Amino acid sequence: MKRIAVITTIYRYLSHAQHFADRFLVGYPKEGKWHRPDMKVVSLYVDQKPEGEQSEDRAREFGFTVYPTIAEALRYGGDQIAVDAVLSIGEHGDYPNNELSQVLYPRYEFFKECVKVFEDDGRAVPIFNDKHLSYNFEKAKEMVDDGHRLGFGVLSGSSLPVTWRLPDVDIPYDHELEGAVMVGVGGSDPMDYHALEAMQCMVERRKGGETGVAAVQLIDGDEVWKAGEDGRWSLELLEAALSRSDTPCGLTDEDGRTQNLIGTGELYKLVDNPAAYFIEYNDGFKATLLMLNGAVRDYCFAAKLKNEPIPVSTQFFLTPTPNVTYSACLIAKIEELYETGVAPYPAERTLLVSGTLESCLKSRHQGHVRLETPHLNVQYRAPEESQHARR
Amino acid sequence: MDKRPKIAAITTIYHKYAHTQHIVDRFLEGYGWNSRHHYPPMDLVSLYVEQVKENDISKDRLERFPTMKGYPTIAEALTLGGEELAVDGVLLIGEHGEYPSNDKGQRLYPRYEHYMEMVKVFENSGRSVPVFLDKHLSWNWDWAKEMYDISQSMGFAFMAGSSLPVTWRTPSIDMPLGTSVSEGLCVGYGGVDSYDFHALETLQCMVERREDGESGVKWLQAYRGDSFWNAHHEKLWSRDLFESALSRSHTLTPSRHGFNNPFPTLDEMKEIVKDPIAYQYEHKDGLKSTMILMNGLVQDFNFAGYIGPNQDILSTQMYLPMPPARTTLANFFSPLVNNIEKMFLTGKATYPVERTLLTTGLVAAGVDSLSDDEAKIDTPHLNISYQATEESTFWRT
Repeated sequence: MKRIAVITTIYRYLSHAQHFADRFLVGYPKEGKWHRPDMKVVSLYVDQKPEGEQSEDRAREFGFTVYPTIAEALRYGGDQIAVDAVLSIGEHGDYPNNELSQVLYPRYEFFKECVKVFEDDGRAVPIFNDKHLSYNFEKAKEMVDDGHRLGFGVLSGSSLPVTWRLPDVDIPYDHELEGAVMVGVGGSDPMDYHALEAMQCMVERRKGGETGVAAVQLIDGDEVWKAGEDGRWSLELLEAALSRSDTPCGLTDEDGRTQNLIGTGELYKLVDNPAAYFIEYNDGFKATLLMLNGAVRDYCFAAKLKNEPIPVSTQFFLTPTPNVTYSACLIAKIEELYETGVAPYPAERTLLVSGTLESCLKSRHQGHVRLETPHLNVQYRAPEESQHARR
Repeated sequence: MDKRPKIAAITTIYHKYAHTQHIVDRFLEGYGWNSRHHYPPMDLVSLYVEQVKENDISKDRLERFPTMKGYPTIAEALTLGGEELAVDGVLLIGEHGEYPSNDKGQRLYPRYEHYMEMVKVFENSGRSVPVFLDKHLSWNWDWAKEMYDISQSMGFAFMAGSSLPVTWRTPSIDMPLGTSVSEGLCVGYGGVDSYDFHALETLQCMVERREDGESGVKWLQAYRGDSFWNAHHEKLWSRDLFESALSRSHTLTPSRHGFNNPFPTLDEMKEIVKDPIAYQYEHKDGLKSTMILMNGLVQDFNFAGYIGPNQDILSTQMYLPMPPARTTLANFFSPLVNNIEKMFLTGKATYPVERTLLTTGLVAAGVDSLSDDEAKIDTPHLNISYQATEESTFWRT
């Protein structure tokens, strides 16, 4: 039975640590069964313990130990690494922001403490790192490089790439793409991260595989609509993405009606401050994330395939709170990492998205300028088999 | 058809989130479909609304869509004020509105009455057109059968039923056509003579695809409260199928404080579900089906069945993006409207109305069993056999 160390910022109801670690404790829905992983959480490190947090309650009920340091959690009280896998959840908790409005979660620091134990003790185990690797690309790159250098599996990222899709579609593998638009909502950053990774898990399947990002630009306000009129992003693809939304706002809130948000012009009234994240890839491909707070409340994607008249489009289905069964889809991937030692999809995706988001936020901070990003020369191939929930 | 079909909508009430609003609005305003905002290639030209209350929005729709006119009677809506039938398709939406209930708790929506007024116009005009009727045919079995028989004898395309059979599924799977099915089960939520119908349609749209098709139903027995738990304890339905259906839910009520998604123990379920209900019934070919309503525990509809020679479990959720808690649009009406559109364009139902005739009879039998101390009800009248369509008709594009 694999032994798991949980390393987290905070363990309270509806925090990511609670969602994720609990599923190893009480099981989760998987392929039409209540699946109970053949794995055991044996140790926990938690960085912040405000009133009402749950780490001691869970430790008591499920028979594991809370340790004061990450090294002790990994060594499980002894002097050698004594776990087979690490679940690192650096999300939620009280941490400062930087000037780019990024929350400075200590994911890199957690990861490096694990790596130090791996090096000192001569054994490395797989790590799942929740969400982006780090707010900083250099740190994120070092994390992925550590995995390669020491030969342990690293899986990272959001639940959006692996959750149910409405409809259940994927980009045909190695098909030429002519454009992509992702619609997201929520704050920056965290929710733009989820949207960017959802977009990346689709476009990385394009012909030739991922080549890295050459330049980014983040613009906002009415410039976003003007860029659409100028053809910098595709209105056809935005219509395709919005056709998948279950949450148009405004008149739909008022009387339930369906809406052609673009055709009636309501879209432009509903969104106070649209933002466009332009991503230019090294192979010349371009994709755009549109953050459209006020218009819709879900995450939808559309892409134009070469020689296909109708765009591919889908909604990344964020299932209801509190079950948030989309996180169960990610747990299944983490379990696969722990069982096989190999990440089901490359951490390079998350590395690229981590760096892309950071550069987009820098673009905004520097007056919405276009930034060339030679450092985002991250190349990888996605697995041919689709990785999202579909069984 | 070389011109755009003209459609009449005959409805009980038109307010936000009424079925009329969900269906008629999609014909007027269009809806998201296959990467476009799709406008049905037909014109909704006439509207009859039986009850206009303070929450009415038909006035707004009639003003904003002047090609649609309101009529004070069903006959006028169908003849567009003239002498003869003047439309190419009819929507009958008898759901919501203030109507009395009978002593069995059935809401007496006037679906039969509206239908028969429509039939009178068909007869007087010597012509009939395709008809969609929302939900079950009638609360009254004899009337439902009469409605079905008339559609057969007059020879018009007739579709009815719930959105559940046509909405998204997670996972996006169908019952393999012609496979053997030894037991089917649906766990849903809602009340008697309302959402029980949706759960029955969920179950039926899957099991009807089994080897040799649907054969009809021999008997039905309802279980409620303590007798439900006793039946569950005695494994009158498969625990594994029940657990599989619950494992497809996205809305399991957390049974423990501080946990967001634990699987409830039986004792916890009993605490959460105060009034569980099951309708169990046997089909003529021996298949056993069980419809379960677990109010309080789930807010979605989940199917599970044993299929094939190895008794593999096939399970899925028929997903309802339900406003206002989770969405703003009840987009499960989009695939329903899309199927209706196809019928109006081709003159052929895209799935058999016999499904809904059967589920209509099952609702009535369930209500009868519940009001008769959960007696086992023989259902020789549900001798309804039919074949499912080869092609899947649920939303997957």
